[in-house]
Amino acid sequence: MCSYHEQDRASMGQRIALDLELVKGLRFFDPHIHMVSRTTDDYQSMADAGIVGLIEPAFWLGQPRTGIDTFRDYYSSLVGWERFRASQFGIRHFCTIGLNSREANNEALAEAVMELLPFYIYKEGVVGVGEIGFDDQTAAEEKYYRLQLELAKEAGLPVQVHTPHRDKTRGTSRSMDIALEHGLDPGMVIIDHNTEETVKEVLDKGFWAAFTIYPFTKMGNERMVQIVKEYGPERIMVNSAADWGISDPLAVPKTAALMVKSGISKVAIELVCYKNAITAFAQSGQLDEGLLNEKIDVDQGQKFEGNSILRGGQQPRRDTGSIIIS
Amino acid sequence: MNGVNAGWVADQVAGYIKDNQWEGLKEKLSEIARSPQPGLVAQVFTAIPRNVKPSAQQLRISFGEVEGLGPNPVPVIVRDWSVVQLLRVWFLSQIPDLGQEAYVALIDRLFKYSDMEESVSLYAALPIYRYPKAWQQRCIEGIRSNIGPVRKAIMVFNHYPSRFLEDEKAWNQLVLKAFFTDEDIPNIIGLNQRNNPNLAQALTDYAYERYAAKREINPMLWILVGPYLDERAFDLMERIIIESQIPLEQRAIAYAFKHSNYDIAREYCAKNDRFISLSDDSGTPWEAWEY
Ligand SMILES: [Zn+2]
Repeated sequence: MCSYHEQDRASMGQRIALDLELVKGLRFFDPHIHMVSRTTDDYQSMADAGIVGLIEPAFWLGQPRTGIDTFRDYYSSLVGWERFRASQFGIRHFCTIGLNSREANNEALAEAVMELLPFYIYKEGVVGVGEIGFDDQTAAEEKYYRLQLELAKEAGLPVQVHTPHRDKTRGTSRSMDIALEHGLDPGMVIIDHNTEETVKEVLDKGFWAAFTIYPFTKMGNERMVQIVKEYGPERIMVNSAADWGISDPLAVPKTAALMVKSGISKVAIELVCYKNAITAFAQSGQLDEGLLNEKIDVDQGQKFEGNSILRGGQQPRRDTGSIIIS
Repeated sequence: MNGVNAGWVADQVAGYIKDNQWEGLKEKLSEIARSPQPGLVAQVFTAIPRNVKPSAQQLRISFGEVEGLGPNPVPVIVRDWSVVQLLRVWFLSQIPDLGQEAYVALIDRLFKYSDMEESVSLYAALPIYRYPKAWQQRCIEGIRSNIGPVRKAIMVFNHYPSRFLEDEKAWNQLVLKAFFTDEDIPNIIGLNQRNNPNLAQALTDYAYERYAAKREINPMLWILVGPYLDERAFDLMERIIIESQIPLEQRAIAYAFKHSNYDIAREYCAKNDRFISLSDDSGTPWEAWEY
């Protein structure tokens, strides 16, 4: 996904030191982040930065899967182990379940995955079908995109649509046209990874527009600030899509901080960094703001293996500045 | 704990379900009783949170012991359960006998596709499944789980492991893992009855390890080591009872000394008035313990 060459500092714009004081007291929701690839340090700093909930879309793992059982175990980990891991840091973990576009190209496997999906999409905390859509824009991708749109419609679930990196503008239009063709309400569809080139059409057609703040390859957050200034905060949401690539799990709070600095109103910031995503995915019936306001019941023995000092639900904090490990 | 019966639980369950959905759920149950399609069982089991009244979503329920919730003469302890968990366990208790192979396959499938909360309910329900001996491997696997609430559902307030985990090694793993993960040790059912010298040995090793790392040692450990006290355990306990600043830790060691069969420990205790008063068990978690 990324090219790992050294970037020229000058081309990266001005550096502004991270200051979370700017967003102190704000709550954040990251509606697209792949926590299976992230460490407990990330969970800790996300909680510290005010992230109270997240959505982990089912995606590919960098290495293509070759069997159905690894798909099942992956989906099970999204509703099991990862949900537990997040809860230890006081973060609510939701997910979307689907067959991603890349792996849709292995048709024999894709058929088996389609049979697996109904076992997971009705689970508690599953807030949509996702992330699905186009990558190479092949016939197989289209076939499984369409089948999963039908599945979402039947289950009454929102759809989280991944748009392609290559030929993005046309791929995005096509994703929306197909969703409309299947009779989906655009208000139930979140179009992800938007750019300046796609946002207008997405909003004009009544879809939700999600933006991925991802260094080097997707949006930078200075561009994001401009978009919110130009289009306002309605039906726009920001996510990190942090995964196994060079990415930033604090992209949402950092973007909020930049918006504060840029004079965007707190109300607008709250919409694009918290509320809009909740409103969109709450249509699943599996997520509401009340749930996010409740403190996670950590007295449920939600403790980490080998650690016994977790009373009160907090994970013990590593002292990252010390060479002593105790 | 006051016991209640299965019929009473059914009445409670009905009260938590949305008014217009109780009939529908009963209809599905009789359909399952007539023809238990695995797909329908899975669907009803997963959808149970959607049947719960919003006002009951956050309730936590404790009944104490429920007799006869399933076909086995093993009580279920409802302690700090969510309404969804109570409904799920009750639903599982209604699944008819299909013959061992089909019945086990049906429940196994629910385990295989379960989310975190479903896993907790499925393990909490171990005492109610038919063919109780058939669930030993499942129980052992659950004890290995890395998900805290899953382990807790098996280890604490659950009659299944002490009654049906025949293998001593498996039982000892449960207890050792409970110490490692800081579970509520005194509420492991059958802890006293299943205590054994191999467990005491492993716990002594564990205590030495904790001591070397300058980490706290759960006082319940000494209560389990007590009946099988030997020189090695005594050496460490003697050191700790002198060094310790934690009254409960000193009381546990004094109690273990007094009730042990190891002469040196009993004499050590008898020689010292302070230890005799420390060995009093009133108000301790091991008060109801009988050697
Ligand atoms: Zn993604």
